[in-house]
Amino acid sequence: MDLLDLRWDIIWNYREMFLRGIWITIVLTVSGYAGGIILGVLIGLGETSKKKWLYWPSKLYVDLFRGTPMLVQILIIHLAVIPTIFGQSYGFMVSGILALLLNSAAYNAEIIRAGIQSIDKGQMEAARSLGLTHSKAMRKIILPQAFRRMIPPLGNEFIALLKDSSLVTVIAASDILYAAKIVAGAYNRFWEPYLVAAVLYLLLTYLVTKLVAYVERRFSNGYNPRRKREGRSLT
Amino acid sequence: MIKVENLHKTYGKLEVLKGIDYEIKEKEVVCVIGPSGSGKSTFLRCINLLEEVTDGAIYIENVKVNDPKTDINEIRTEVGMVFQQFNLFPHMSVLDNITMAPIQVRKVQKGKAESLAFELLDKVGLREKAHNYPEQLSGGQQQRVAIARALAMKPKVMLFDEPTSALDPEMVKEVLDVMKQLAFEGMTMVVVTHEMGFAREVADRVIFMDGGYIIEEGNPEDVFGSPQNDRTKAFLGKVL
Repeated sequence: MDLLDLRWDIIWNYREMFLRGIWITIVLTVSGYAGGIILGVLIGLGETSKKKWLYWPSKLYVDLFRGTPMLVQILIIHLAVIPTIFGQSYGFMVSGILALLLNSAAYNAEIIRAGIQSIDKGQMEAARSLGLTHSKAMRKIILPQAFRRMIPPLGNEFIALLKDSSLVTVIAASDILYAAKIVAGAYNRFWEPYLVAAVLYLLLTYLVTKLVAYVERRFSNGYNPRRKREGRSLT
Repeated sequence: MIKVENLHKTYGKLEVLKGIDYEIKEKEVVCVIGPSGSGKSTFLRCINLLEEVTDGAIYIENVKVNDPKTDINEIRTEVGMVFQQFNLFPHMSVLDNITMAPIQVRKVQKGKAESLAFELLDKVGLREKAHNYPEQLSGGQQQRVAIARALAMKPKVMLFDEPTSALDPEMVKEVLDVMKQLAFEGMTMVVVTHEMGFAREVADRVIFMDGGYIIEEGNPEDVFGSPQNDRTKAFLGKVL
């Protein structure tokens, strides 16, 4: 440590800014993700639809948001879309959440589409043959099975979004990375603030990983491949 | 009870059914036999519109099934279907597999649906498996649950799409026994099958299909004992 002569006291002096940064990062990510799930489900269902007027807009949306850099999306939304539509800016929080939401919706939609399409088509046929409507078969039979398969990739998307949320510093959102930049600028020192920022992101992603593992266990009740061999009866 | 008129089905350029006319009466057991690719499964799946009908008409109790004005979901509640691959719902227990449709579609109370489910499980000999999951059952047991699931809707007709083709040989009998019992009780059944012994013993009528047509049909003694058409003879010569 002497080699770099690190001065941790400068971080301590800005501790409140870092704490606020953590809070902002969490709020941005969680709100963006929650909205991204809801919109993603709709678009994902649209992508699996046979109706062209549902399919094509959904497909276009996903291609658009996956094919352009998130940094560009954030700038367009904050500097162009919101001022043009509303005539004013509502600050980084609104723009940031909206950008994260729209972006993660595209990725979530793909996860949801893949999850639905991974379910054997015999499941839908069996449900329909019993007289269920398409939407009821979707809700009772297909989605519950697909959801279990979606949990791991949706967890990955949450972690990716958490890290990508650092891009909102370009619109002066006071998140973790922003705090680090301020400290770096104030003291002209780079190791301490950016190392702290990295460790804070690492801690947050670690927590999310644990949370996803818990959710995965929770929803595999009664349908656990590791348990299935017990109790199998031989005929 | 089921009337099929000039039924055609094409996939793109491939014509699978080239004009099927047939009538199935109440309480009749009809077995459909024929080489693979002859269109027999497609014919069966057209009856409850799992396949879209290209041309022709299907009537179930005088209601035209392939009429846009017909509520197909309502028709399907009267037509039970058993699949080659069982298609049980893996995320539900055996009991929930059976009670799901009566509760969701017929709006039967949970308690009533469950007592009916246990009755049906007794019938197929699987009461003790009610709280197991499909993955914990053997193929034969799964197929018997699938039959119970279809019966829970109290259908007027049962369609079987090669119900024993995905089973290990030692499990075929337990499924066929359940089907025989059903036939004996007077259920109207259409069975696509490769089990010639079953067709001979249980069927009232046998249909031989090849190349998208019904080549020959009649009672089992005639079709199996003295087939008229050369293609029927050739097919039976290979499988019997």
